[in-house]
Amino acid sequence: MSQINVIHAAVIGLAATFVVLAFDRAGELRKDQYVYVPPAPKVAAAPAAVDPDKGKPPPHNDKVEDLPEGKNRELTFYTCTACHGVALIKAQGLTRDLWDSTLDLMVEKHRMPPIKPEERTEILDYLAEQFPPRRKGRGSDNPFLK
Amino acid sequence: MPRSGTTKASRRNVLKGVGMATIGASLPPVGSALAQGAPAAKGPKLLDMEGKAKLAVLGDKPLVAETQAELLDDNVTPTAKLFIRNNGQVPDVTGDPKAWKVKIDGEVNTPMEISVGDLMSKFPAVTYQLMLECGGNGRSFFTPEARGNQWTNGGAGCPMWTGVRLADVLKAAGLKSSAVYIGSYGADPTLAGDTDKPSISRGVPIAKAMEEHTLIAFKLNGQDMPLIHGAPVRLVIPGWPASVSTKWLKRVWVRDKEHDGPGMGGFSYRVPKKPIVPGSKGDEKDMAILESMPVRSVITFPADGTRLTSRKLDLRGHAWAGDFDIKTVDISTDYGVTWKPAKVDAPANKYAWQNFSASIELPTTGYYEVWAKATDSKGVTQPFQAANWNPQGYGANPINRIRVLVES
Repeated sequence: MSQINVIHAAVIGLAATFVVLAFDRAGELRKDQYVYVPPAPKVAAAPAAVDPDKGKPPPHNDKVEDLPEGKNRELTFYTCTACHGVALIKAQGLTRDLWDSTLDLMVEKHRMPPIKPEERTEILDYLAEQFPPRRKGRGSDNPFLK
Repeated sequence: MPRSGTTKASRRNVLKGVGMATIGASLPPVGSALAQGAPAAKGPKLLDMEGKAKLAVLGDKPLVAETQAELLDDNVTPTAKLFIRNNGQVPDVTGDPKAWKVKIDGEVNTPMEISVGDLMSKFPAVTYQLMLECGGNGRSFFTPEARGNQWTNGGAGCPMWTGVRLADVLKAAGLKSSAVYIGSYGADPTLAGDTDKPSISRGVPIAKAMEEHTLIAFKLNGQDMPLIHGAPVRLVIPGWPASVSTKWLKRVWVRDKEHDGPGMGGFSYRVPKKPIVPGSKGDEKDMAILESMPVRSVITFPADGTRLTSRKLDLRGHAWAGDFDIKTVDISTDYGVTWKPAKVDAPANKYAWQNFSASIELPTTGYYEVWAKATDSKGVTQPFQAANWNPQGYGANPINRIRVLVES
């Protein structure tokens, strides 16, 4: 028991060290400090560094928790966010039929890797439950919509 | 003298080195409302990007942002306020822009690969004020929801574009009699990061490609084309869904049949030729390509939700109708019971939007909706609610409305 505790302590200690080191490198622990930058070597005026990201949209990363909690959330997240932001998914309000044809669109037209049938069902379960049509109005209770 | 000694560490750059994916995951994404200290009031997330105004973000991946109605107020849309729509990732565009090459091939006598420098020196440059409008503009007005980015009316803008006429370039290549359509390709990788297939490739019939306002553009409002808007060169094919105005233009393929690239088939950029039950799956066979964009009006002043201290209201806005002109704009403050014509200006040139204005005396204090309804030169007007529902939501152009409160 005491041996396990020692290992635990070691692991926790090491983990904490890495976290502190990471934050340290990120500047979190040394805000507003100055770092030493060695003088630039006197080579012939190097061409101005071209930043290929200049003018591009800011980087964007979503987390699983950005989708509402529900069964099959993780599977849905990792399937969709390879290409799409969570905001686009959340802006939709579709019947199961239309979610189904949305997956067809992605696989057939946008070269999404095919999904296993059982996973497709699980993703559809999640999307249809979390993002059904929400907009109310004359079009929302159509007598011809089964 | 080279800078040396101490330099303030840029937290963002250091973070880049550590890896955004790990530590960045716990921080608010750059550009979030939180990061810019915007009020926590409900509303769209606002864009935080160098050179761009605080547009309403519809999606971050790919970046899609629309211009709020009140930001569309300028007669000529400033670059900072022009909407953003991407179908793939933004490509790396480095090096000399004049060395960028555009290929012209297919049904032409002399296929060529022409540099931007040669485009600029060999063909006359023209400048026009031209509408650019997302095919899905107005989609959020559909009930039930249609699939895609939920645009209000802000997937549109009318800046000044400078470029050479696509017609001049196609004539130089020599169109064969078999040429009926073009398909165009940009350098943007797909959302998954593939560069071996186009993220989208749309096109127009040869007559539209040869129209004198169809440009290979290299300047936007007199400045070099910004990367996000298609640097170094893009197509501008005004009046039609903006997805044909290919950014980061690499190739114009002259076809002997209707172009069939990604974005040309199925329900994409198509409207029903036979009405579909709203909310149903529909049938692809009932769809036809959306060409000229529908008639639309937007009140840009005052903003929706304005409190007025006087019953007198001077309003203004813009109206446009794809390939056509605006004939009239009518204003109602009583839910369409009565209408009053607004003053409508002539366009700066064909394919520019038209400004309208009206001076209205509201009868009492209290709550009013102010409606605007444009009618085009064919006599086609805006419906009271989004019509011709379709699964991907094209062609929604209901009358525009703002809400005001006249306080005593």
